Amino acid sequence: MNSEPVLQVKNIHKAFGDRKILQGVSFDVYAGEMLGLIGPSGCGKSTILKIICGLLEPDSGEVIRRSDEIGLVFQGSALLNSLSVRNNLALALDSRNLSRVEEDKIIREKLALVELADFMYASPTKLSGGQQKRTSFARAIVNDPKIILYDEPTTGLDPVMSTVIEDYMIVLSKQLSAASIVVTHQHSTWTRTTNRVVLMFEGKIVWQGTPEEGIKSSDPFIKQFASGSREGPMLATKI
Amino acid sequence: MTYVNTTSQPKERRFTSPLKIAEDQMLIGLTLLGQVSYLMWRTFGYMIRLQIDWGESVRQGYMIGVKSLVVVGITALFTGLAMSLQISRELVSFGADTSIGGVVSLALVREIGPITAGVIVAGRVGSSIAAELTTMMITEQIDALKVMRVDPIRFLVVPRYTAALIVIPTLSTYAMFLGLLAGIFIAKSAANVPPDTFLDSVRQTILDRDFSVHYLKSIINATVIIFFSCAIGLNTRGGAEDVGIATTRAIVWTMISIFILNFVVTSLTYAPR
Ligand SMILES: Nc1ncnc2c1ncn2[C@@H]1O[C@H](COP(=O)(O)OP(=O)(O)O)[C@@H](O)[C@H]1O
Ligand SMILES: [Mg+2]
Repeated sequence: MNSEPVLQVKNIHKAFGDRKILQGVSFDVYAGEMLGLIGPSGCGKSTILKIICGLLEPDSGEVIRRSDEIGLVFQGSALLNSLSVRNNLALALDSRNLSRVEEDKIIREKLALVELADFMYASPTKLSGGQQKRTSFARAIVNDPKIILYDEPTTGLDPVMSTVIEDYMIVLSKQLSAASIVVTHQHSTWTRTTNRVVLMFEGKIVWQGTPEEGIKSSDPFIKQFASGSREGPMLATKI
Repeated sequence: MTYVNTTSQPKERRFTSPLKIAEDQMLIGLTLLGQVSYLMWRTFGYMIRLQIDWGESVRQGYMIGVKSLVVVGITALFTGLAMSLQISRELVSFGADTSIGGVVSLALVREIGPITAGVIVAGRVGSSIAAELTTMMITEQIDALKVMRVDPIRFLVVPRYTAALIVIPTLSTYAMFLGLLAGIFIAKSAANVPPDTFLDSVRQTILDRDFSVHYLKSIINATVIIFFSCAIGLNTRGGAEDVGIATTRAIVWTMISIFILNFVVTSLTYAPR
């Protein structure tokens, strides 16, 4: 974790209409690091990811990226159902004007990383939920991004499948030595995959530290979030 | 479209004044027209540079055609039958039996062919495009395209419009042809006019100009159907229930526009002078 961060988020504000969703969020992510972005549903985690990859404009603040290649794994996989697995990955290669052979080589290699090489010509609609998720991983890393963003990669998966997906995330971030962010509220995901965790509540960061610190901490926010207790500053009525 | 918040309390609608409703509708309409214009501008930009995915265009053309063939056929046939019956009855009472073919074909080529095909395709294809694109918005497939630096307009709208420009005029020719068959059948069975007489009258009446107007109308219909349904689809956010709302909006807007523009073209080309 030397030199400059690959990604810097500086004092981001964002409102939808008169609802202030983000109210001054800042953090850095370094190469090879996996940052966990945790917090209750609706606190603006997906919004941050969309701002980082340019799908949304912040109202104020800035995002500094030291790499143009960025991979986003959407919560619902977001595979294009009208295309085969192969062509879903090929879309991301479109702007590079490669030959079909070169494309196939890269696509096969990335699918092999998530153990889906046999499904190259399958339709995404024929895949299981876990396979779709893995396909969307492969698609996100097709251009060897230096920034990878995962939006709730394990939400809705069974515990075993969650572990499998978490293991892929660990492998991928090592292989690409990318700066990764994982948005999650699943305990196993942030404790197993991240180096550092940022807890958000009501548009602000209320705690940050390593997952080990998070589990032991007596800070009321992270303590409540880690234990899932009703008692604490994050009132159930506000969530 | 505006973001539909389904968790909020339903608004009290009973006492909304009609003036306020008209004002809101006007604003929604203007926004939509802006979105449609932007989409057309961008699409034409790609098309004149021939940046068209031909394979996908053929696939879309096939889908548009197959979805519409049977239903356009049935509609054209029965509209043709009913219309020919009315025309035959009136012309026979004037002793103008030999003009049946001319009058029936005029109505078909100038009005019934394009409007039947347009309305049916709007209902069948416009609605399914709006539903498909809205679903893609909601499931973040459109965002995924943008992250991969693929322009959704080039990827989704250009092939659909290219396909529609070929398929919809073909469908209205087909509607016109079936309507003519219906006319021949009615003329023979109800007014005892032989097919030869019918077709002679058609040849004497229909001018090349009528065909030009026919194709102008069906190209306008194709444009309306594709751009309204794509604009609605690509600007809807929210959840599953918004797919239904978007579908209905697409049908309503395309049908209204088709009828209005049909009249505009007719009045510009056929007004008595
Ligand atoms: N495009 C949008 N327009 C209006 N409101 C939005 C939009 N996107 C998200 N929101 C709202 O912003 C809040 C935060 O959303 P999100 O970032 O998705 O939360 P989460 O932390 O669960 O990922 C939610 O209340 C959501 O309804
Ligand atoms: Mg989210």
